Amino acid sequence: MEVNMQSNQTFAEIFQARGVSRRDFLKFCTMTSVYLGLAPSMVPSVVEAMEKKPRTPVIWLHGLECTCCTESFIRSSHPTIEDLLFNMISLDYDDALSAAAGTQLEDVRRKIMKDYKGKYILAVEGNASTKDDGVYCMVGGDSFLNTLKETAADAAAIIAWGNCASFGCVQNAHPNPTGAAPVSEIIKDKPIVKVSGCPPISEVMTGVITHFHTFGTLPELDRLGRPKAFYNTRIHDKCYRRAFFDAGMFVRSFDDDSTRKGWCLYKMGCKGPTTYNSCSKIQWNGGTSFPIGSGHPCIGCSEPNFWDKGPFYTRKAEVSFLGSDSNADKIGIVAVGAAAAGAAAHAAVTAVKKAKADSSEKDKA
Amino acid sequence: MGRIIEEIYVWRLPVRFYHWINALSIVILMITGLYIAAPLINPPLGEAVWYKGMAWWRYMHFVAAFIFVANFLFRLYWALFGNDKYARFGGFQPWSPSWWGKPFREQVESYLFLRSDEPNYVGHNPVAALAHFIFIFCGSSFMIFTGLAMYGENNPGGFNSTMFGWLIPLFGGSYSLHFAHHVMAWIFPVYFIMHIYAVIRHDVVDRTSVTSSIITGFKHKVEEEPS
Repeated sequence: MEVNMQSNQTFAEIFQARGVSRRDFLKFCTMTSVYLGLAPSMVPSVVEAMEKKPRTPVIWLHGLECTCCTESFIRSSHPTIEDLLFNMISLDYDDALSAAAGTQLEDVRRKIMKDYKGKYILAVEGNASTKDDGVYCMVGGDSFLNTLKETAADAAAIIAWGNCASFGCVQNAHPNPTGAAPVSEIIKDKPIVKVSGCPPISEVMTGVITHFHTFGTLPELDRLGRPKAFYNTRIHDKCYRRAFFDAGMFVRSFDDDSTRKGWCLYKMGCKGPTTYNSCSKIQWNGGTSFPIGSGHPCIGCSEPNFWDKGPFYTRKAEVSFLGSDSNADKIGIVAVGAAAAGAAAHAAVTAVKKAKADSSEKDKA
Repeated sequence: MGRIIEEIYVWRLPVRFYHWINALSIVILMITGLYIAAPLINPPLGEAVWYKGMAWWRYMHFVAAFIFVANFLFRLYWALFGNDKYARFGGFQPWSPSWWGKPFREQVESYLFLRSDEPNYVGHNPVAALAHFIFIFCGSSFMIFTGLAMYGENNPGGFNSTMFGWLIPLFGGSYSLHFAHHVMAWIFPVYFIMHIYAVIRHDVVDRTSVTSSIITGFKHKVEEEPS
């Protein structure tokens, strides 16, 4: 019963009850519309949906993960309206945040699945182990693999929170002993939005929920299944240190003068040029900073398999199957060396044969 | 010494121009590409607006790349429609089993020192044709497609991003695509060594002036020394 009561409230009612003024509510709606790349004329639709539509019920599952996606929004030191929204979404089931546990909690999940069949959002944090029937991740007496399949069956859409659920993250990094697989490899018949990152930015998380709440559909996705509004451009292209990149002014070690001057972190292994995310635009913790802003290279946490793409602090990627000391240039130099050795050997044989043929001709003469 | 008994015009002017533009742009692409991957020069302290270090190397890479692409497309046109029997694709039919037959086998055997006589071709021999197909046609195509996919990354939804951006998920993300482009670039230095060696060896063994033919266009047949 309590579940239904909570779900019937609208976002606006929740905000009001929490002492958020209407002015702040409208500011939130406008900001979210901007993040989503919507036209100004669409703001009233967002406001209307937030005011009138009952909140979309969300079942939030935790699989093989570190809870960093959840941590990032419950640990905020300055509660923002985004945090509030996160605490206030009709989060009807979340085994990490619930006071209840055990059978009672699992019954709640089944009840939501029945009451809101085909209407609830399934938010997945973490991924499932697929090896040995998923025994490497057991939740509530069942494998997470089964729980995920069961809960996904009646969901309207799936939000894959973070890199774990989207692409596998550290769990399915080489050699992946538990057979961890991202949600999209297990659930094939539901729309999935991959809100990648380790963790994703909270505004991105709220933006995706707001979009679904307003329009009833998932936002437009890029080729890797991430919402285009947030993952369409590279960190590098919006980076405030880009001027130093173009000038060729690079940090060469973490304690040199150029570090203090805030030069480009490209040579320190920054993955900004190959990473699609909003960190250099929206930034973190209400626009306070982001990794590069704090002097640390981007590690590319919103990209597939970023753990397996070589060390975080060098540019040149290792090639895992050739040992930890190899990279693109070493492969190339070995190949060139082999070609040169081959040519030299061939030339030597040619010379010997020619000399033999000449001497035998002389013998004949 | 042998006497020149015949002069054959093999490489027409467009083919020679293609060859040297291609060679030059590959050299520039390789050097600038390696620099972009591992920039060495660090400017002295100062304002970023004073320097164009990295931007200049990348610009050179892109200029050379577009010249390389245009030149490659021209060569494709010439190979398909050019009235040039030594530069056409016509004879190269790796899908047909007969192409892999006697001439190809003889050429391979000759390179492996299994036969004493050297088969002689005016244009490319079958092994050379296959090497060019793998290194120059496939290799260049790979570098062009992956290169344009990366070039389109700074303008999502633009022409290059729409036409070639599908390669990025195919490689499993932008980083892997950059890596593949970097590794595959090394086929050109490998090819360069094989190419230079093969040309010099043929010149020494066959005495057909193949080395100078790419400048003058002419190959020569030399009368065998009377014994």
